[in-house]
Amino acid sequence: MINTGVVSAAYIAAMVLFIMDLSGLSSQQTARRGNWYGIAGMVVALLATILGVVTNNYLELIAALIVGGGIGLVVARHVQMTAMPELIALLHSFVGLAAVLVGYAKFGDTSSQLIGIDLTIHHIEIYVGILIGAVTCSGSLIAFAKLSGRISGKALVLPGRAPFTLGILIVLIWFGWEFVNQSAAGGGILPLLIMTAIALIFGIQLVMAIGGADMTVVISILNSLSGWTAVTTGFMLNNDLLIVIGALVGAGGAILTTIMCRAMNRSFVTVLVGGFGSAGGKKYSSAGIEEDGEVTAITAKETAALLLEAKEVMIIPGYGMAVAKAQQNVAALTSTLRAKGVNVRFGIHPVAGRMPGHMNVLLAEANVPYDIVFAMDEINDDFPEVDVSLVIGANDIVNPSALDEPNSPIAGMPVLTCWKGKVTIVLKRSMATGYAGVQNPLFFKENTRMLFGNAKDTLQSVLEVL
Amino acid sequence: MKIGIPKELHQGERRVASTPEVVAQLSKLGFSVAVETAAGTAASYTDDAYAAAGGEIVASAKELWAQSDIVLKVQAPENNEVTSLRSGQTLISFLWPAQNPDLLKQLTERGVTAIAMDSIPRISRAQEMDARSSMANVSGYRAIVEAEEHFGRFFAGQITAAGKVPPAKVLVIGAGVAGLEAIGTAKSLGAIVRAFDTRPEVKEQIESMGAEFLMLDFKDEDGSGEGGYAKVMSKEFTEAEMQLFAEQAKDVDIIVTTALIPGKPAPRLITAEMIKSMRAGSVVVDLGAEQGGNCELTVPGELVVRHGVSIIGYTDLPSRMATQSSQLYATNLLHLLAEMTPNKNGEIVLDMEDEVIRGATVCSGGKITWPPPVPKNPPAPKKVVPVPVPAPAVVEQKKSVWGPVVTVVIAVLALLGLGSVAPADFMVHVTVLVLASVVAYMVVWNVSPTLHTSLMSTNNAISSIIVIGALLQISSQDNTVKWLAITALAITSINIVGGFAVTHRMLKMFRKSS
Repeated sequence: MINTGVVSAAYIAAMVLFIMDLSGLSSQQTARRGNWYGIAGMVVALLATILGVVTNNYLELIAALIVGGGIGLVVARHVQMTAMPELIALLHSFVGLAAVLVGYAKFGDTSSQLIGIDLTIHHIEIYVGILIGAVTCSGSLIAFAKLSGRISGKALVLPGRAPFTLGILIVLIWFGWEFVNQSAAGGGILPLLIMTAIALIFGIQLVMAIGGADMTVVISILNSLSGWTAVTTGFMLNNDLLIVIGALVGAGGAILTTIMCRAMNRSFVTVLVGGFGSAGGKKYSSAGIEEDGEVTAITAKETAALLLEAKEVMIIPGYGMAVAKAQQNVAALTSTLRAKGVNVRFGIHPVAGRMPGHMNVLLAEANVPYDIVFAMDEINDDFPEVDVSLVIGANDIVNPSALDEPNSPIAGMPVLTCWKGKVTIVLKRSMATGYAGVQNPLFFKENTRMLFGNAKDTLQSVLEVL
Repeated sequence: MKIGIPKELHQGERRVASTPEVVAQLSKLGFSVAVETAAGTAASYTDDAYAAAGGEIVASAKELWAQSDIVLKVQAPENNEVTSLRSGQTLISFLWPAQNPDLLKQLTERGVTAIAMDSIPRISRAQEMDARSSMANVSGYRAIVEAEEHFGRFFAGQITAAGKVPPAKVLVIGAGVAGLEAIGTAKSLGAIVRAFDTRPEVKEQIESMGAEFLMLDFKDEDGSGEGGYAKVMSKEFTEAEMQLFAEQAKDVDIIVTTALIPGKPAPRLITAEMIKSMRAGSVVVDLGAEQGGNCELTVPGELVVRHGVSIIGYTDLPSRMATQSSQLYATNLLHLLAEMTPNKNGEIVLDMEDEVIRGATVCSGGKITWPPPVPKNPPAPKKVVPVPVPAPAVVEQKKSVWGPVVTVVIAVLALLGLGSVAPADFMVHVTVLVLASVVAYMVVWNVSPTLHTSLMSTNNAISSIIVIGALLQISSQDNTVKWLAITALAITSINIVGGFAVTHRMLKMFRKSS
């Protein structure tokens, strides 16, 4: 209906709109408008393609759009904010799956008349596109299963993982060679299917080997991977829009990965190699110093009294707050204290939770104003002035041994230095260690009080006293 | 080893070098402790209390000096004390080696190991042993107590049935440990407190204690000297400063001066003129009295009244709060001894590699070891903070310069290699990819950390642009291709709508506090 030039123009408009969407995310004020830019970009790209390229099968097209869109809308409406990491992982796997399907469809499409090097490149593109798509798909599904608790979050490292990975790599290259050779002669479906199976298995073992604490990194990597999937598909289809958008997402995910790795003082490679927080694997022992000491327990009533006396309160939420779904109580506590003139602020560690920005979303959901929520770097120097720090379900991100215990597995990871404040109250279910499997000397410090119990219930009783 | 705590002989000295509590702690470190009878009486620590804490009460000083391996004192030893020291003994007390060269010489000749509490380096690690700071803290507190005693009014303003009482106005000059404590104490009594310091970086500390920082309208001159102390200022600065003090003197009721420059006589800040201009009944507390005084009319060690203003020049303020000072000083000593007793076996080790021990040891084994060599990494506390803040030991991994270079070279070679074989069409796409990655890199670094989750869900939605791929194939005549495309379309539609909708929902939740 419309010619190719117009379609290309529409694609350019869509690219600009998508870039504006991402740049809108630099602040809360512009982010909402940014999201509308993104929606507009998608609508423009879809309309241009449907009107300019599609020639028949409109009925199936519209049905698929409505069914898929409907499911998406229902899921987006009803997902709990605590379950955001799972949802995002699941959506990543869809991108991967779609890439695999599109790759096969392109392979089955014999209308193109390519010869020589062009044909070879085209086949390599299909091969790589399906490969990355499959790894993204199965890896994300495992991440989804881990995050939603369907399988254990513990790292499961295969024995002889390094040779295994290397072997897979060689096998994949060999099948790639086979595929290009066979497909030039019109065949090649068999190597393609075998490769897909191997890639799926590779994706599974990749994420299985990564422990719960590194989930924030994994989810960023998968995010990046879903972008690169779009890039390879773009190459396959000779479509610049896909390449540009894929690069946006891919680079975005890569940057998130970098930020998260930095926040844990771990390199990308060590995360992928896995084993962090692995069950019973290597037990951390510091040079003869056994971290055993007296912890001082405290009641909800005493907590309330301490909070009322305080002028400066810092709340440090962690994954435990998400697990206990305690964010509403945290918000209620915050507004109660603020109404009494207590300056309540939040200190958020970059890797708190299971997803970048996880805590911010939960707090926003509970109506905590975002201008009292601060990033670690913004508030870490303020702790000496803080009267009470409330650690809710966080462990490794407030572990002093990261700073002063060079042998600790988390040594060098930046942490929130709450122990420099006057009193730290730790809300915790038990004395169990965090995901890193490291004992936390914070609990034994003189100015630390432990408030045991489910965070939601204990906060409720604190609120009642207040 | 045996530690001896003699009674202080210095005229008017009420402090004692250890308290019963600390004696118990010293025993835990493996030492046995002997205390001269009545050593702590003036500081309200009884012999019985020492004995109960495990100390052995010794009847005479002579006996005590004879049997002790380590002697803990507050004041530098008097002449007859020096003569009872013998080779191999360790003496720990205030010594002021710069001011007492004779004493240092005598101690050296007697083969004594002498550790001067006043020479503990001012580094973060040694703050728990910094006796000068603990004594300055007491002086600052006591300065306000003394001022109130000689000031005829309330500090806090009150509105009573009998009329309105204005609050007292206090000016504190010099915001070191003593100055800050004076500010805090005056503030908690309800006074209006102003403070001045030549070091601009203490402004925040002053304000955090609740005082107003008096800014000098003057070109930037930083008064910070080494080790967190002030230095001598230029003539112009001093004149501007005097002008400020002259104005303030007419307005305030109490002036506490704490200005000291290491190794120099105390700077003259308050002139006779200024005292004359103050209201009768006002009080000046001069903590610089020992070094000659910050006020022209100060008589060191005494209280004098001039032009109706009480000028307090006491040099023994810590001794006037002997119980408190002794407790702090004893704890400083305990920390030092704990540092010197790494094996907790009651045997001290003089580790001259240790910056703190090296700095404080003024003579040992017949040799003068004072002043210590300049430490390798000079202490940084330009900003002296009352609370120790150990620097976070974030391990920065050294990155090789070659890493990025090699990466770039490989990338360039790979691109060249690709370009040499790939068709032009393909290279156009590579161009687009590289440019888009650069744009993405620029854009995404600006994303606020709060919105990282939203970034991920947005990424999710827009990476489903892969839907275009499905749409391009959906019109295929081949049924397999068609259904593959339709399935892919349905799946990506979930993503598109789901991703954007969930982002929208999240963003809607962020709100500013009203």
